[in-house]
Amino acid sequence: MAGTDYHCPHCGAELRGDSRKGGSRPGGTPGCPYDRLAYAVLRAGHDAIYFGAWRHMDAPALETRRGYHRIGRHLAAIGRELDGRDLPAAARDLNEAIKAHRTADPREESPDVLRLMDNALSYAHRAIDDLLHEKGLPAHQPMDFAEWYDAVEVPFRDEW
Amino acid sequence: MIDLERYPREITLHNGVTLVFRPMDRDDVGRLWDFFRQIPPEDKMFFRQDVSRREVVQHWADTLDYGLVLPILALEGNRVVGDATLHRQRAGWTQRVGVVRVQIALDYRHIGLGTAMVRELRHLGEKSALHYLMAEVIEEQATAVRAFEKMGFVRGAMYRNFVNDQRGGLHNLLVLLYRMSSPDDLDI
Repeated sequence: MAGTDYHCPHCGAELRGDSRKGGSRPGGTPGCPYDRLAYAVLRAGHDAIYFGAWRHMDAPALETRRGYHRIGRHLAAIGRELDGRDLPAAARDLNEAIKAHRTADPREESPDVLRLMDNALSYAHRAIDDLLHEKGLPAHQPMDFAEWYDAVEVPFRDEW
Repeated sequence: MIDLERYPREITLHNGVTLVFRPMDRDDVGRLWDFFRQIPPEDKMFFRQDVSRREVVQHWADTLDYGLVLPILALEGNRVVGDATLHRQRAGWTQRVGVVRVQIALDYRHIGLGTAMVRELRHLGEKSALHYLMAEVIEEQATAVRAFEKMGFVRGAMYRNFVNDQRGGLHNLLVLLYRMSSPDDLDI
């Protein structure tokens, strides 16, 4: 998605695009899609990375590095949310995400970098879902917010 | 000892339906038996006991011991729509291994309930000083395998033509393992 990084004025999420569009959805429906949702910042932060340019087939190295650093900030935000809470499963997921992120080196042009970044993001998603589960809420579904992003590909979706 | 103060707890599914998770108690025999009677025959083939018989479920209720088997029910009102159990040993070489089993009503599949119940068991396992959770799944139960893998379970072993269904057919048994956290593991 073209544009610059900005923070959604509604949920505070770190988004990318045209900040003048912040607060309005495609089709003219008013309101940020994450507004009033539990863990809105984490969910929006995840999705901004999930649908980010670094995952495109033709992403330049700059986007990979940008995605890498964004994942780092995202994991730090999850860590702040988990701090002081007795949720060992979520802490384990976050730990796995941090390990994958640390192992990736975005300066290398290797498929392993993208795989490790994907792993880190996947573990981060699981930690967010752990937080939502503790509140009795359904798991986060990025595809529910796909219209907000430049989502070209629809990932496989399967729920038991 | 697992802290059960978190129950009953409400869980909302993707379709907006709210269920209650709570441990099975002695009064649940009828509704749990109803639940098992409606499980499709192809799923029942893989059960270890004949859950179509009320006395089997009655025996579970009569011998409830949460320290050995903790059954968590998912209820919509009075109806059981999911059953997840955590099995443990008090002594012996597998006392740090919890075995998990999950069964979901047919009309409650594909809306995230199975995943939520696995997530609940994982939380309980983490709180139980266990080292591993283990799930045994028939290889053909692909959605169940995916739900466990989504929760961080990894394929530990596969035994070819290892188990038979109630008609005598042989199936591959997949063992999925989830390694628990230990303080040494955590960098955060």
